[in-house]
Amino acid sequence: MKKVSKNSRVAQYINGVRCALPVILGFIPVGIAYAIMARHAGFSLGETCIMSLTVFAGASEMMAVGMYAGGASIIAIILATFILNLRHVIMSTCVFNEMKSAKLGTRMLAAFGVTDESFAIFTTSEKEKRTAPFFVGLITVSYASWNVGTLIGALSSDILPEIVSASFGIALYAMFIGLIMPGLRANLRLAVLVIFTAAVNTILNFFIASSWALIISTLICAAIGAFFVDLSEESEAQ
Amino acid sequence: MNYEIMLMIIGMAAVTYIPRVLPAVFISKFKFSPKFEKFLRLIPYTAMSALIFPGLFSVDSDKPYIGIAGGIAAALLAWKKMPVMVCVIAGIAVDMLIYAFVGH
Repeated sequence: MKKVSKNSRVAQYINGVRCALPVILGFIPVGIAYAIMARHAGFSLGETCIMSLTVFAGASEMMAVGMYAGGASIIAIILATFILNLRHVIMSTCVFNEMKSAKLGTRMLAAFGVTDESFAIFTTSEKEKRTAPFFVGLITVSYASWNVGTLIGALSSDILPEIVSASFGIALYAMFIGLIMPGLRANLRLAVLVIFTAAVNTILNFFIASSWALIISTLICAAIGAFFVDLSEESEAQ
Repeated sequence: MNYEIMLMIIGMAAVTYIPRVLPAVFISKFKFSPKFEKFLRLIPYTAMSALIFPGLFSVDSDKPYIGIAGGIAAALLAWKKMPVMVCVIAGIAVDMLIYAFVGH
């Protein structure tokens, strides 16, 4: 019996690794871009890599080296990082609400890997897939590709021709689109909610910082949606 | 090693991990109402929509059509029930093609 459950955990983990493969196409080029920025800002090879190994948050790291290059204070950089990452409270709540039965240690380890991307893949997967080993599989690939990208960029600044690296900018957006489309296809009201959210967030971006706009539009629109979107027919996401 | 940069990295690691780990630790203490559960299940969709828009328009800040074209390619293939990986590769391929014509 024990063997069977162990095997199924391994299978869930491998499934997570497989589902995270599109992240590689997004994370390696962005990791390279971050590392190039960091080296230009005066970070050593070691510092550039340690930041990716310990922080593991692409947008924050790019913002931080940008601010550092611009002469911002350490306190301002840490504060801006905190604000930018507050959205992970929401994402982490969604992820761990599905993983309540996992051990505390497992959850604390998995928490390190909550990113926009791991959250996106995990929460749009079928209900039976949403397990701790599956999530750890997602994290393994994301963490590895982010750090491999960082290392490549830190070692050499122009491995990719300009046109190629510029074209990879679309990768993570394309992934988000690919992840939500199955749910939208099956549920018109959900599609309306998503379009509404897009409009709200775009408008908010004219008035407030984008990190706050994202949090506010995510929460308010989900709250509105809770009153008119019917999730039962969508049968636990595609 | 630059002392200032190391201090900055430690601070950033802390303020990044804290928002991620708090829900992981305290989630088992909460029992949510069905309405709140539904709210949580909608968040992936609203969050991803907000991550896509308006960011998609500034994939290339000088050429908004780069993001739009790649996004449409991915959306069409996703609509045709293609795997996510195929959507991503198509988005990249379309943008690469456009750059090949208009330059970067």
